[in-house]
Formats: sequence, C-alpha cells, structure tokens
Amino acid sequence: MSWAWANRDLIGHYLVQHLYLALVPVLFGIVVSIPVGIMCVRYRWTWPPILSLTSIFYALPSLALYLVLIDYTGLTDWTVIIPLTLFSLSVLIPSVVDGLRSVPQPVRQAATAMGFGALRLTVRVELPLAIPVIFAGLRVATVASISLVSVGQLIGIGGLGYFFTDGEQRDFTTEIYVALILIVILAFLADGLLVLARRWLTPWERGRSARDRRRVFSAAFHGSRAEGST
Amino acid sequence: MITFESVTKRYAGGTIAVDDLNLEIPDGKTMVLVGPSGCGKTTTLRMINRLIEPTEGRILLDGQDVSQTRASQLRRGIGYVIQQTGLFPHRTIEDNIATVPLLNGWHKAKARARARELMDLVGLDQDMGRRYPYQLSGGQQQRVGVARALAADPPVLLMDEPFSAVDPIVRATLQDELTRLQGELHKTVVLVTHDVEEAIKVGDVVAVWYPHGKIAQIDTPERLLGAPADDYVENFLGFDRGIRRLAFFAAAGLDLETETVLSADVTVELARQAAKRAGASWVLVTSAEGQPRGWAALTELESASGGGTLGQLTLAPYGHTFRVGEDSLRAALDATVLSRTGLAVGVDGEGRAVGVTSYERLRAAIHGAEEAADHEGARAS
Repeated sequence: MSWAWANRDLIGHYLVQHLYLALVPVLFGIVVSIPVGIMCVRYRWTWPPILSLTSIFYALPSLALYLVLIDYTGLTDWTVIIPLTLFSLSVLIPSVVDGLRSVPQPVRQAATAMGFGALRLTVRVELPLAIPVIFAGLRVATVASISLVSVGQLIGIGGLGYFFTDGEQRDFTTEIYVALILIVILAFLADGLLVLARRWLTPWERGRSARDRRRVFSAAFHGSRAEGST
Repeated sequence: MITFESVTKRYAGGTIAVDDLNLEIPDGKTMVLVGPSGCGKTTTLRMINRLIEPTEGRILLDGQDVSQTRASQLRRGIGYVIQQTGLFPHRTIEDNIATVPLLNGWHKAKARARARELMDLVGLDQDMGRRYPYQLSGGQQQRVGVARALAADPPVLLMDEPFSAVDPIVRATLQDELTRLQGELHKTVVLVTHDVEEAIKVGDVVAVWYPHGKIAQIDTPERLLGAPADDYVENFLGFDRGIRRLAFFAAAGLDLETETVLSADVTVELARQAAKRAGASWVLVTSAEGQPRGWAALTELESASGGGTLGQLTLAPYGHTFRVGEDSLRAALDATVLSRTGLAVGVDGEGRAVGVTSYERLRAAIHGAEEAADHEGARAS
C-alpha cells in the first residue's frame, strides 16, 4: 500500500488513460450501433450479414488487430480504440436489435394507428422501450472494454496495464495486484453506474419483478447469437 | 358515414381476405362485425384507418376517399382500441391517454387535464393517472385504451376485439360501459368480435360474416335473431336464439296478475277468495309498503284459520324478481323459470311488487311481441 501511495500520481495518470481508452470505444459503439440497429430492424435483409460481421468482430483476437493497425495508426491511442470499438459493436448492435424487437407488436401497432410516423415511433416508443436490453449489452461491453484495455500494453498503450508489464519486469508483484484490483473496482463502478442510469431512465420498470428483468437481460446475451447460429 | 365501395383485399399468394365488399356504416351507431377468424372482419376494420390498404375499391369517410388523406393525419381523427390494449408501457396512464392530443400539438397541461376528464368518463380513479400500465388490472387497462382512443374526440372509433382478453365478468361490465358511453357520445363505432353474444349485446347493427370475406347478413340484433337470412347465420347465432331474442322485447308488455298480490295484514279468508277468483295456487304476500315477502300456497290458506292474517303464515321465499319498467321479456322468463312456484314477481323502481307472471301470461306476451316485430320487419324490408 505504501507503494501505491508513493506512486499515486503515476497510478492516477494511468487510471485516467485506462478509463479514456475503455470508455471512448463504448461511446463510439453506442453512437454507431443505434442507427445500425434501427436499420437492421427496419430493413430485415441487412441483419444476417451484419450479425455475421459482429460475430467476426467478437472473435477477432485484439492482439492481432493491434499489430495490423500499428502500420496505419502507429503508436497512438487509435490503435487501441479501434479494436475495442469493434468489440463493443459486436456486443451492442445485437443488443439494440434485440431491444427494438422486444417492443410488443400491439404497442407498435397502436402507436401507428394513433398517427405516429416511422421516425417518431422509433424515437418516442421503440428506443425507450429497448433501453433495458440495450443497457444489458452496454454493461457487458463496458466491463469487457475496461478489462481488455490492458492488452494494449503489449504495444505500450494499456492504461493500468502498464503496471502488469512493469511489475513483471521488475519482479514486483505488488504493483500487479494494485493494478488488477483497480481494474476490477473500475469495472464494478462502471457497471453500478450503468445500473443506476438504467433505473433512472426507465421509471416504468421499477416495480416490475426481478424475474421479468432477468428475462430481458438474458435475451440480450443469447437472443441474437442463438438465432444467428441456427 | 363510412362507405365501402366494392372493396376487395387480396394478399400476395391469392388469398382473398375481403371480397367485393359494399357496406355503409351509419353515423352515431355501433356497428359490429362478427364472424369466425379469418373471415375478413379485422381486415375490413383496418382498412378504415389505412393500417391495411385495399387492393380494389374505395373507402369513403364522410364522402372523402380515405386514401387521399395522409395516413398519420387520418389516423389521428379515428380512435383505435385493440385487444391487447397496446398501451405504452413507458408512459403513465395520464400520458397514455393524452397521446393523440399531444401529437396534435396541445400543451402538456391542457392534454393532461383532458386525460383526467376522460378517466372520469371511462370510470377510472384519477389517482391512477400517475401510475404505469403494468400496475393496472386487465379491465382497467382496457378502460385506459378506450379513454386514449377518445382523447382527441374523434367522430369514429374502431374497436378490434376490445374485450376478448379480459375475464367474463369484467367483459360484461366493459360491454355495459360501452353501451353507456355510446349513449352519451354517439360516436360512429365499428367493433370487431368473434363473440356473437357480444355483437348482439352492444351492436345497433350487426354484420355477420361468412368464413371467407363476404357478409352473410346485416341487421339489427333483434331482426337477426328473429329472421336469420340463411342456415349459416342461424347456426352461427346459436341454438337458443328464440330465447335470446326476448332480450329485445320489454317486460312492460306483460299483462301481470295483480289480484293475488296481497299485503301481509290481509286476512287468510280474503286471500283464499282472491286465489280462487284468479284460479291461482299461490298468492304473493307483501309488506305494508308493497315489498315482496314470500309466497303462500293455496293449500296452506285452506288449512289455516280464516280469521288470521297472511303475515302469520310460513311463506316460501319469493325468489327472483324482474323490473317491469326496465327489464326485458327474457329477464321475466328467466325469473319465472328460476322460481320454485313457476311464478315470478315484477317490481317497480322502488322494489314494490307490481304483479306476478305465469307461463300463460309470458306466452301471450312473447307471441304478441314477436308478431309486432315481424310486422315491423316486413314493413321495413
């Protein structure tokens, strides 16, 4: 602990970098996945190819990607941010699609029959109702992203991952443990904040049983992948 | 007035959902489209607000071709209620009801005030305004659905199996409520159902559909039950249509026996004489105010001492009653069938016995009412 206190500035620096490298890809991911998800639901034929693409993103070893990208983006943050963005897309696009599809058909029909146009229907009805499923995906993407950043350390840009290689080289396990614990704490905090945000955004879900919510949650993970594999 | 002019809906693959339909739906009335599933009734309903477009023909709303109005504009002027309610789970009851006023650009405060007005109208507690749909029972949700459809005061209300998803008791209440509302609002209501009882209960006019896209008969419920156009309609209406038709004849047409309705302070001797004069084997004993208390059998009257009063006798329960001014012949018949004495008590608005039925008197009333209705029908057609 005394080591951590003595190096608090260094730890702080890498902590900020870590958060930056982890969260920017998720932010890009959400900005891209919402319109793409809407498109996949509206034009059904676009969904199978995009689902395949997200599966490839998901399976792609990020290390390989770093090494490829390094020729183009060099030793910049982008070399880490781009692979992580692709990874977060692989989780978020299926979540958005599942979320939009989870909107009950009668709700959609009633809205149309009351005179909602397509855009208004999506923005005012479908997206708000998709929030629980989208947030389930967002939690997975965020936690995964926070843990994956440290892999970037192999090209020297890895946030708290710095302490893993540094500790290993100096044979000093304390700093490895400190970084590890900090990453886990970050992941927990981010996850908790997302849960709070989801609750705040969906006041209509508050009284519902936990079972209902678990159903939504598991749909977010298994829905599209199961569908894609059949 | 909604007019269908030679409307056909054909789906890719050749299935004909609606086959050359000509139909006029009168203003201010409830028209029920009833038929088996797949008969085209729902397709017909959805063509009115352009959720489905016809393949051929035109649909006119007050003389205006609906396909000439922008769909979202058209729909805001037509209320729509569906079986699964389709309420927005993420909006409060108040905001659900205020949906169309808000779409029409009303201020939030005004739209919410309107929503509360409608909650009153459909019999919902205003406290519920801040709740979310899942916190309400099925019946309450359906009331919200109706309130939401009425929020912008559209002249036309389309209802697609609105009461099918609730339990029978709630359904009956909602049907009564619809009849009451319609009595106040006089909307042009088009209601789709597969439940012939519902059609007969809520419809001013009922269109019975064949299984594949054509209408078998359009008529008032009473005429439908009295004169089904063919075997299909007769079958569809069910086996006891003769009795169900009696629901459309007022019990006021019954000639009730009044001689044998006697107050409890009348002597047994007088009651005996009255029963014999009327040829009755039971007399109805009432309180001094006229409320029925029970039946005294003629045999009992004969064995009791003539000087005593009816109030001292053991009486059989008076059983079921019907309200002479409001109920139908069906209710009177029902009360008579359920009564152990084969006689039922007709009461007035205050519950005072007016007279008693008998099978003979019912038979005469039914015969008279049917004859009058058939005469009316023959003149109308």
